[in-house]
Amino acid sequence: MSNTDVDGNPQEPFDLVRYQLDELVLVKLRGAREMKGRLQGYDSHCNMVLSDAVEYIYDLGEEVNSNPTVKKSEMVFVRGDSVILINPIN
Amino acid sequence: MSESAADVKKESSKLDPSKFLSEIIGNAVTVKLHNGVEYLGKLQSIDGYMNIVLDETKEVINGNIGRTYGDVFLRGNNGKYLQYLKLPF
Repeated sequence: MSNTDVDGNPQEPFDLVRYQLDELVLVKLRGAREMKGRLQGYDSHCNMVLSDAVEYIYDLGEEVNSNPTVKKSEMVFVRGDSVILINPIN
Repeated sequence: MSESAADVKKESSKLDPSKFLSEIIGNAVTVKLHNGVEYLGKLQSIDGYMNIVLDETKEVINGNIGRTYGDVFLRGNNGKYLQYLKLPF
Protein backbone atom coordinates (compact mmCIF):
# COMPACT_ATOMS: atom_id res chain seq x y z
CA MET A 1 0.00 0.00 0.00
CA SER A 2 1.84 3.07 -1.18
CA ASN A 3 0.33 6.11 0.43
CA THR A 4 0.31 9.23 -1.61
CA ASP A 5 2.22 11.77 0.30
CA VAL A 6 1.48 15.45 -0.21
CA ASP A 7 3.53 17.30 2.33
CA GLY A 8 6.33 15.07 3.43
CA ASN A 9 4.42 13.01 5.96
CA PRO A 10 5.62 9.49 6.63
CA GLN A 11 4.50 7.06 3.99
CA GLU A 12 4.63 4.02 6.15
CA PRO A 13 4.22 3.74 9.89
CA PHE A 14 7.79 2.67 10.67
CA ASP A 15 9.09 5.87 9.08
CA LEU A 16 7.89 7.69 12.16
CA VAL A 17 9.93 5.37 14.34
CA ARG A 18 13.00 5.72 12.16
CA TYR A 19 12.90 9.49 12.54
CA GLN A 20 13.09 9.01 16.31
CA LEU A 21 16.44 7.23 16.37
CA ASP A 22 18.64 8.89 18.98
CA GLU A 23 15.62 10.89 20.21
CA LEU A 24 13.50 10.55 23.32
CA VAL A 25 10.44 8.38 23.00
CA LEU A 26 7.60 7.33 25.26
CA VAL A 27 6.60 3.73 24.79
CA LYS A 28 3.33 2.49 26.21
CA LEU A 29 3.51 -1.17 27.14
CA ARG A 30 1.15 -3.93 28.17
CA GLY A 31 0.65 -4.39 31.87
CA ALA A 32 0.11 -0.67 32.61
CA ARG A 33 3.74 0.19 32.04
CA GLU A 34 5.47 2.96 30.20
CA MET A 35 9.07 3.43 29.25
CA LYS A 36 10.80 6.66 28.39
CA GLY A 37 14.21 6.62 26.86
CA ARG A 38 16.48 7.46 23.97
CA LEU A 39 15.84 5.17 21.02
CA GLN A 40 19.03 3.36 20.07
CA GLY A 41 17.54 0.81 17.74
CA TYR A 42 14.39 -1.07 16.75
CA ASP A 43 13.17 -3.66 14.29
CA SER A 44 9.94 -4.50 12.51
CA HIS A 45 8.60 -6.36 15.57
CA CYS A 46 8.97 -3.15 17.59
CA ASN A 47 11.76 -4.76 19.56
CA MET A 48 13.60 -1.73 20.84
CA VAL A 49 16.75 -0.73 22.65
CA LEU A 50 16.44 2.38 24.82
CA SER A 51 19.21 4.15 26.67
CA ASP A 52 18.81 6.20 29.86
CA ALA A 53 15.45 4.53 30.23
CA VAL A 54 12.89 5.17 32.92
CA GLU A 55 10.11 2.67 33.43
CA TYR A 56 6.82 3.73 35.02
CA ILE A 57 4.73 0.93 36.51
CA TYR A 58 1.14 1.89 37.34
CA ASP A 59 -1.04 0.11 39.87
CA LEU A 60 -4.33 0.14 37.99
CA GLY A 61 -5.23 -1.38 34.66
CA GLU A 62 -5.14 2.12 33.30
CA GLU A 63 -2.89 4.85 34.51
CA VAL A 64 -5.23 7.58 35.74
CA ASN A 65 -3.54 9.60 38.41
CA SER A 66 -1.86 7.05 40.64
CA ASN A 67 1.82 7.68 41.11
CA PRO A 68 3.77 4.93 39.46
CA THR A 69 6.73 2.90 40.59
CA VAL A 70 9.78 4.19 38.76
CA LYS A 71 12.69 2.07 37.63
CA LYS A 72 15.72 3.44 35.88
CA SER A 73 18.01 1.58 33.58
CA GLU A 74 21.03 2.65 31.59
CA MET A 75 20.23 0.45 28.62
CA VAL A 76 17.20 -1.74 28.15
CA PHE A 77 15.83 -4.09 25.51
CA VAL A 78 12.05 -4.03 25.09
CA ARG A 79 10.44 -7.01 23.41
CA GLY A 80 8.16 -5.86 20.62
CA ASP A 81 5.11 -7.91 21.51
CA SER A 82 4.49 -5.86 24.64
CA VAL A 83 4.50 -2.55 22.80
CA ILE A 84 1.17 -0.74 22.44
CA LEU A 85 2.28 2.65 21.17
CA ILE A 86 5.33 4.75 20.50
CA ASN A 87 5.25 8.51 20.93
CA PRO A 88 8.09 10.92 20.17
CA ILE A 89 8.86 13.31 23.02
CA ASN A 90 9.99 16.76 21.99
CA MET B 1 -20.34 -14.81 -18.32
CA SER B 2 -16.98 -13.12 -18.45
CA GLU B 3 -18.76 -9.81 -18.04
CA SER B 4 -20.34 -10.84 -14.77
CA ALA B 5 -17.00 -12.07 -13.52
CA ALA B 6 -15.55 -8.68 -14.36
CA ASP B 7 -18.40 -7.03 -12.52
CA VAL B 8 -17.71 -9.15 -9.47
CA LYS B 9 -14.07 -8.20 -9.63
CA LYS B 10 -14.97 -4.56 -10.00
CA GLU B 11 -17.33 -4.85 -7.06
CA SER B 12 -14.78 -6.58 -4.86
CA SER B 13 -12.11 -4.03 -5.65
CA LYS B 14 -14.53 -1.36 -4.46
CA LEU B 15 -14.65 -3.11 -1.14
CA ASP B 16 -10.96 -3.90 -0.93
CA PRO B 17 -9.98 -3.01 2.66
CA SER B 18 -6.51 -1.78 1.84
CA LYS B 19 -7.90 0.44 -0.90
CA PHE B 20 -10.39 1.86 1.57
CA LEU B 21 -7.60 2.50 4.06
CA SER B 22 -5.36 4.25 1.57
CA GLU B 23 -8.29 6.42 0.48
CA ILE B 24 -9.01 7.70 3.97
CA ILE B 25 -5.44 8.77 4.74
CA GLY B 26 -5.44 12.33 6.02
CA ASN B 27 -8.91 12.02 7.52
CA ALA B 28 -10.04 11.84 11.12
CA VAL B 29 -10.32 8.31 12.45
CA THR B 30 -10.73 6.54 15.74
CA VAL B 31 -8.74 3.42 16.36
CA LYS B 32 -10.04 1.11 19.04
CA LEU B 33 -7.56 -1.23 20.66
CA HIS B 34 -8.23 -4.58 22.26
CA ASN B 35 -7.65 -3.08 25.68
CA GLY B 36 -10.65 -0.77 25.10
CA VAL B 37 -8.67 2.43 24.75
CA GLU B 38 -9.47 4.53 21.69
CA TYR B 39 -7.26 6.93 19.81
CA LEU B 40 -8.80 9.77 17.84
CA GLY B 41 -6.58 11.49 15.33
CA LYS B 42 -5.65 12.16 11.77
CA LEU B 43 -4.58 9.05 9.90
CA GLN B 44 -1.07 9.57 8.60
CA SER B 45 -0.15 6.10 7.48
CA ILE B 46 -1.00 2.44 7.85
CA ASP B 47 0.66 -0.76 6.68
CA GLY B 48 -0.36 -4.34 6.06
CA TYR B 49 0.11 -5.28 9.71
CA MET B 50 -2.31 -2.53 10.70
CA ASN B 51 0.52 -0.59 12.26
CA ILE B 52 -0.91 2.91 12.29
CA VAL B 53 0.46 6.42 12.66
CA LEU B 54 -1.93 9.11 13.84
CA ASP B 55 -1.35 12.84 14.06
CA GLU B 56 -2.90 15.23 16.63
CA THR B 57 -4.01 12.25 18.66
CA LYS B 58 -6.37 12.18 21.61
CA GLU B 59 -6.46 9.18 23.90
CA VAL B 60 -10.00 8.22 24.93
CA ILE B 61 -10.33 5.98 27.98
CA ASN B 62 -13.87 4.94 28.98
CA GLY B 63 -15.24 7.81 26.90
CA ASN B 64 -13.09 10.39 28.66
CA ILE B 65 -10.40 12.22 26.76
CA GLY B 66 -7.10 11.55 28.45
CA ARG B 67 -3.71 12.48 27.17
CA THR B 68 -3.03 14.09 23.85
CA TYR B 69 -0.08 13.22 21.67
CA GLY B 70 1.46 14.79 18.61
CA ASP B 71 2.34 11.77 16.55
CA VAL B 72 1.60 8.27 17.68
CA PHE B 73 2.70 4.92 16.30
CA LEU B 74 0.24 2.15 17.20
CA ARG B 75 1.48 -1.41 16.90
CA GLY B 76 -0.86 -3.34 14.63
CA ASN B 77 -1.59 -6.31 16.87
CA ASN B 78 -3.36 -4.09 19.42
CA GLY B 79 -5.95 -2.82 16.96
CA LYS B 80 -9.56 -3.99 17.02
CA TYR B 81 -11.01 -1.61 14.46
CA LEU B 82 -10.46 1.68 12.71
CA GLN B 83 -13.42 3.96 12.21
CA TYR B 84 -13.52 6.63 9.54
CA LEU B 85 -15.04 9.84 10.84
CA LYS B 86 -16.46 12.32 8.40
CA LEU B 87 -14.92 15.24 10.18
CA PRO B 88 -12.84 17.96 8.62
CA PHE B 89 -9.31 17.98 9.92
